[in-house]
Order: sequence, then C-alpha cells, then structure tokens
Amino acid sequence: MVFIKQVPDTKSKAGVNPDGTIDRARAKRMLNPFDRFALQKAIELKKENGAEVTCVTMGPPKAQEILIDAFDYGADYGILLTDKRLAASDTLATAYALSALAKYVGGVDIMITGLQTTDGDTAQVGPQIAERHNVPQITYCESMKVDNGKVIARRVVEGGHQKLESTLPVLITMANSAAPLAPKRFAEVAAVKEFLHHPEEREKRVKSVNLDDIGADASKAGLVGSPTVVGKTWKLGELGGSCVMYQGRSALDEVNELAEQLQKDDRGIGELING
Amino acid sequence: MAKIEYDVIVIGGGPSGLSAAHRIVDLAIENKSKLKVAVFDKGRRFGAHSMSGAVSNPRSIKKLFPDYETNGFPIEGVCSESYVTFMGKQSSWNIPSIFSPPDFNKKGYLILSQSNVAKWMASHLKEKVKTLDYRNTVVDLYRGFTASEIIYENGAVVGVKVDNTGEPERDNCYAKITVFADKGFLSQELIAKNDLANSSQTWAVGTKEIWKVEKDYSGKVWHTLGYPLLDGTFGGGFIYGLSGNRLAIGMVSGLDSKNPNIQPPQVLQNLKKHPMLQKMIAGGTVLSYAAAVIPEAGYYAVPKEFAVDGAVIVGDALGVMDIKGFSGMDKAMESGITAGETIFEALQKGDSSTKLLGAFKEKLMNGWVGKELKEARYFRHAFGVHKELLSSYIPSFVGNLDSFGPYIGGLVTILASPQAIPTAISAKKMMDGKADIGEISLKDDRTASDPAYKPEPLSEPAGYDKKSIYSTADVVFYANTHYHDGNEHIEEFDSETCSECIEKYGINNNPPPCVGDCTAEVHEVAEKDGGKRHHMNLENCVQCRTCELVCPEKNLKVNGAYHGSGPDFAGM
Repeated sequence: MVFIKQVPDTKSKAGVNPDGTIDRARAKRMLNPFDRFALQKAIELKKENGAEVTCVTMGPPKAQEILIDAFDYGADYGILLTDKRLAASDTLATAYALSALAKYVGGVDIMITGLQTTDGDTAQVGPQIAERHNVPQITYCESMKVDNGKVIARRVVEGGHQKLESTLPVLITMANSAAPLAPKRFAEVAAVKEFLHHPEEREKRVKSVNLDDIGADASKAGLVGSPTVVGKTWKLGELGGSCVMYQGRSALDEVNELAEQLQKDDRGIGELING
Repeated sequence: MAKIEYDVIVIGGGPSGLSAAHRIVDLAIENKSKLKVAVFDKGRRFGAHSMSGAVSNPRSIKKLFPDYETNGFPIEGVCSESYVTFMGKQSSWNIPSIFSPPDFNKKGYLILSQSNVAKWMASHLKEKVKTLDYRNTVVDLYRGFTASEIIYENGAVVGVKVDNTGEPERDNCYAKITVFADKGFLSQELIAKNDLANSSQTWAVGTKEIWKVEKDYSGKVWHTLGYPLLDGTFGGGFIYGLSGNRLAIGMVSGLDSKNPNIQPPQVLQNLKKHPMLQKMIAGGTVLSYAAAVIPEAGYYAVPKEFAVDGAVIVGDALGVMDIKGFSGMDKAMESGITAGETIFEALQKGDSSTKLLGAFKEKLMNGWVGKELKEARYFRHAFGVHKELLSSYIPSFVGNLDSFGPYIGGLVTILASPQAIPTAISAKKMMDGKADIGEISLKDDRTASDPAYKPEPLSEPAGYDKKSIYSTADVVFYANTHYHDGNEHIEEFDSETCSECIEKYGINNNPPPCVGDCTAEVHEVAEKDGGKRHHMNLENCVQCRTCELVCPEKNLKVNGAYHGSGPDFAGM
C-alpha cells in the first residue's frame, strides 16, 4: 500500500493569494514529488515479488486524478478517502484517518510513504501510521528488498547509512535519494485508458470511500481531531534576482573579468548585479 | 498483451492534428458510427511544444467551433488596431494603410496563443465524447508520448512505434489511418520514402517573449520590418497586445540567410532595444520565451501527394503556411478539417488506400487554402530574386528614416539608388502573383549559409535598459525546459564531419550554422581532445529543429523528445 497525496504544483503560481496563502481550488495540482520514490519502490516490488500495489490518498474528489496517474505507472488499485469532515486535519488526525483506511483494506504487508509532502513538510504522517498499526518502521529508506518474508533495507542516517532487517508488516518512508520514478510506458497507459472507458472495470479498481465506510471515528478526524493550533502565518518575501553572465575565451578569463568588475569602484556582488 | 489498435491515430497535438481529430469525431457523432481515435503529443501536456504569433483569421475556427466566441475557446484579444511599422535604429514609422498591402491589415482577426489553443482543443475533444457510449466512441489523448518510428506493412503505413525507449511490438500503436501533424519530425521520412517532395521547403525561425507590462495594449498589432534585420536576412518582427497587460514580442528570421550566425534569440533582444519597444516594456517583466520554425515556401514546396496508403499529412508537415498573409494557423486547421472529412469517408468505405485518401489534396487545393497559396506562390521567392531589397534598399532606408523621416528619407533612398523603383515594381508583381514565371524550385536552407560571411557590426540604438535584455542562456530559462535522464534526442551522425564544418566556418571567424542559428544554446564549439569539437547541451533544447535544417552536411537529426521532456510553452 502506497500513501500518496495531491499537493499544489510548486511550479505554478496559480492560486497563490497576495498574502502568500494558497487557494487550493484555483491552484494547479500534482502528485507530491516525494511520493514518486514511494510509488517507484512499490512498482519494483510488484515486478520483483509479484506484489499487488494499492495507492491510497486522502483529499477532495479531484484527488482521484493522482490515483489515475499512479495506474499509468503500474499501480493496480486506488482508493480515495474523501469526506468533508476531514478538512483541516493536522498530522495526528491525518494519520488516524489513513491508518483506519489501511485497516479497512486489510492484509497489507508493506506500507510505503514518501519522506514528507511539499505542502506540509512535516514528515510525521508516515511514522504515525506505523505507530497506530504497531508495526516496525524504516524511515529515510534508500533501497530495500523482500527476501524470505523479511525486509532488508538500507536507510540514510546522519554521516552514513544503516542496513537493517525487519519482519512484515512494516512501514517504510522512502528517502529522495532512492530510485526515481521510471517513465510511464505506452502499453501500460493504453491498457489503463482502456479499462477506464469501462465503468464496471473502473469501479473494480478505483474506489471512493468516506469516514463511515471505513468505520472511522469522525471526532478523531478533521479539525475537531486536530490538536494543532496555527498561531500565525506570515509571508517570507519574494524569491528572485537577476544574473549577469560573463563569457570569455576560457574559465580563467571569465573569472578575471568578474574579479575586475567586483574591484571596480569597490562594488559588492549585490551592487554589481542590481546596479 | 493485446495489440493496441485504433481507427485513426493523430501524431502531433497542434492545431492541424487536433482539427482533424475534431472533424472526424464530429462526423462520427453525426453519423452515429463507431470510432476509436487517439492523439499523441510529445509535450508534457497538450500545447507544451506548440507556439505561434499569432494573429489569425477566425474562418477555420468558426467552421470547427461555430460557437467559439462563447464556448471557452481561448482568445487573447481581437485586433482593433493594425500597423505595419518600419523600424529605423532610433525612429519608427507606421506605414500609412494606402502603402501597405491589404493582407497585412489584421483588424477583426483573433489574437491567439497557439499553445492555449492546442490545450483547449485537446480538452474540448475529450469533453465532446464524455457523455457518449464508450462502446461507440473512444478518444484517447496521449501526452508525453512520442511517435518514434513509422510502421509499414506491404508499403502501407499501419501505425507507429511509440517512444524510442519502448519495447518493440509491445509499445506499438496500430491504426487504419495515421495522420501526421508532426511538422516533419517523422513525416519527412514518409515524404522521402515515397518521393513526394516537389521542392525544398524554405524555413524561418521565430522567437518570442511574452511580457507583463504596465500599459494596456490589448487588441493592438504591429508587424515590423527594417531594424534589426539589416544583414539581408528575410524576416521581421511582431508585437501583439494581449489581454491582462501582456505583450507578445517576436522576431522571425529566414533560414535561407547567408549569415551562418543569425542568433535568433539575440535578434529578438535587438528588436527590444529599439526605443519604441523600450517604451512599451519599461517597468515590465518577461514571463516566457519560445521558439519554433515556420515553413515559408508555400505553394511550390507542398508535396506532390498529401496521402499515402494508410496515412495523411497535414499542417506544417505539408507546408500550407502562407507567409504573404501571415496565415498559418487558419490554413493548418483547414487542412486538418479537410483531411478529417476525407478520412471519415475512407473509414466508412473501409478503404484507407491512396485511392480514397488522395482526394484530400484536390479538395484542399481547390478550396481557399490552395487559391491563396497560389496567389502568394512567388511572394517569398521575390525576395530571393531581388536580393538587393533586403540587403541594400531596406538597410539604406533604415538610415535615412532616422535622419530625414519617412518621406524625405524615402526620397533620399530612391535618389541614391533609382533602380529601387523598378525593382520594387517587379518584386511587387511577383508578390501579388501577377507575374507568372512558372514552377520554381527552391534550394535547401542548408545550402544558403556562407562560411566566409562577414557580418557588418550592427550599431545599436542608444539608451536602452540593460535589464530588459537577456543573454541567450538567460532567456532559455523562460522556456521552462526540462529533460528526463538519459535523453539523447539529437543525433549527430559523424563527429569528424562536425569538426570539419567547424574548421570551415572557423577560418572566417564564424560559428557553424547549428551553433549560430540555435534558439536555445544547445550547440556549441568546445575545446576537446586538443581540437574543436561539436558539443550539445541537450537539456536546453526547445525542439525547434533549426539545427537540423541549417546543418550544411545533413549531419544532424532532431528527434521528438520523449517521456514528456522538452519545453513548456504555456501561453505562448
């Protein structure tokens, strides 16, 4: 089971309000880039161990787009947990809802998440799901394989790597130094388009559920289930600047010219670029 | 895995390909016939590799979408003021309408972003079939998938191999009829294989920036000549006022130039240095950059046949662009619409041979597209016959315009070279198609550049804001180019040939044309292994194909980027 999330497209300025907050209805959407490593690992396990890959996500109905996208890469099933009562969930409430969803599906051997999301940036949801399931967790995983019912993984730690072994079930968060998501294959995408055309096939492989369907306690989800309080938000300012290019016959020429420009009138780099 | 099969596949999601798909789907819905259509585009999304000026006559759009004014069709503005402007180095002169050709008056035409049009046409195509029974009508859009090879069976086209990293057979896509709307990426092979070429195509390269500016120029259209193209290269500039305080600023340069070092992005920067432009963009910011090639030769360069067994060619791949009227998108769309009608008929009759598909050529060339192309058949050629127009009279008038103003400046130009008048009269006759000199055969652009060409230093307009001018490396950033790992989409057949070419041009201090004419700092001459070698920064490439067209040695081939790589010309 791969936990994925639809996040605002960081390359697009659509939906960014003047005060720096995001209007999610207007923002362009994309699959959380960190989740691409998780999805890749799952697809590899499918190829190597014959795993069945189910992608799950929580979000508004439009989040179904990323489940369809995951099919294109080779996922088998997709489940969307969507419920108005889930709005404004913090990591505690999100992990509760997602673990309830995993329990509802049942029979999961390996849960994989990305390291973090680009919108929340907490890296808390993966580990919390593991705790709620009371299963081992391997965070910052760079590579792993399944052998004899055990997981052998290599994880990134400060100053090096750690190799470890775990029983199943297990939760793994993939580091962004893991193998990147392989491009979509035409034949795969064509097959997905084919099954999406057939309503009965589609229903078998993409499901949409709410809190009641999965037997979750609504008081533990959404705003009411979230102890986090947002004190204050503020805008950090604009990114940007300009760039001066020096083109010379050789790198040495270019450096010399830059040094000369910097020394001229005792200007600093900031002045040189902006003046 | 089952064979992937459609009735029709369209290669290329630009205006021509999508027009064909729309027409076919419309006819299928009207006639309640079963149909499976797929459209392929190599961009990361539809429109990502598609760009144009563009000011367009709405005639084809109206035909395909009668309610285009209200159905969400993306219009950036309607032309309310249209100027042909002669640019001096400091001054500019809006040529009074009595002196400028009526074709250049664009009042009432639509100002469009081709990228937005392609994006909308693709999503609207999906919308059309949304409520229909999937057992009857299927439209599949494949974005980020490139047709990499044509598949033949007994000489007939039966489909394409998708993605050059794909597995053979498994990643093939088969179709009863394949529509090539690919600007020549693959279809040039089809034309060569079937010996369909009439004459070489004459290409031009266009570069464009969109700016957010302080003043509202929406609906205003300028087409410029004169500065900055003073080296005898055919071309000109355009400035289109878009909605939302945006300006599209572009330059088009003919690739049949003697100059091997056109530097298309810098020609555009030079236009921006002009006081008229400086005033317009003051305080503004650049939003995006794009480049593309334009088939300018017209009538005599369209292929002998527009179809072969199992396939049809449309749009720029055919070369139905008409430079006289700056009319590309409407003719490309009309070619798609007409092809769509012929294809639907062929499908109904169950015959995809040239016998039925061949009728497409006649239908298109007997209609307004053919008629206008015929009228403009010598337009581009006139500048080749009367080279002094571009190399001598216009540059001389540029100087006199700055010194004396348009009328006295014009007089001074004529007095200095009285032969300008008969030349202009004779050229005008050719341009209007009134002189008949029979069929013409054009030379390949790759033969045009002169290794010994000596550029005259272009004296720049004074007093421009340096911050509004970009190096090529900087401007390419605004094409939003991204390539996935391992892409090698430009083939260099023989590195020794490149080294010899570098030497040949280098003796005269010129770069080889691939370097000099590149729109995105892809090609460069690098010192390597003790010699000068051709080096490519493929991650910059915007897929314009200029290098392939100007390579004097036919040593380069640009293939479609794959895995959705390449630029993103959003809104261009």
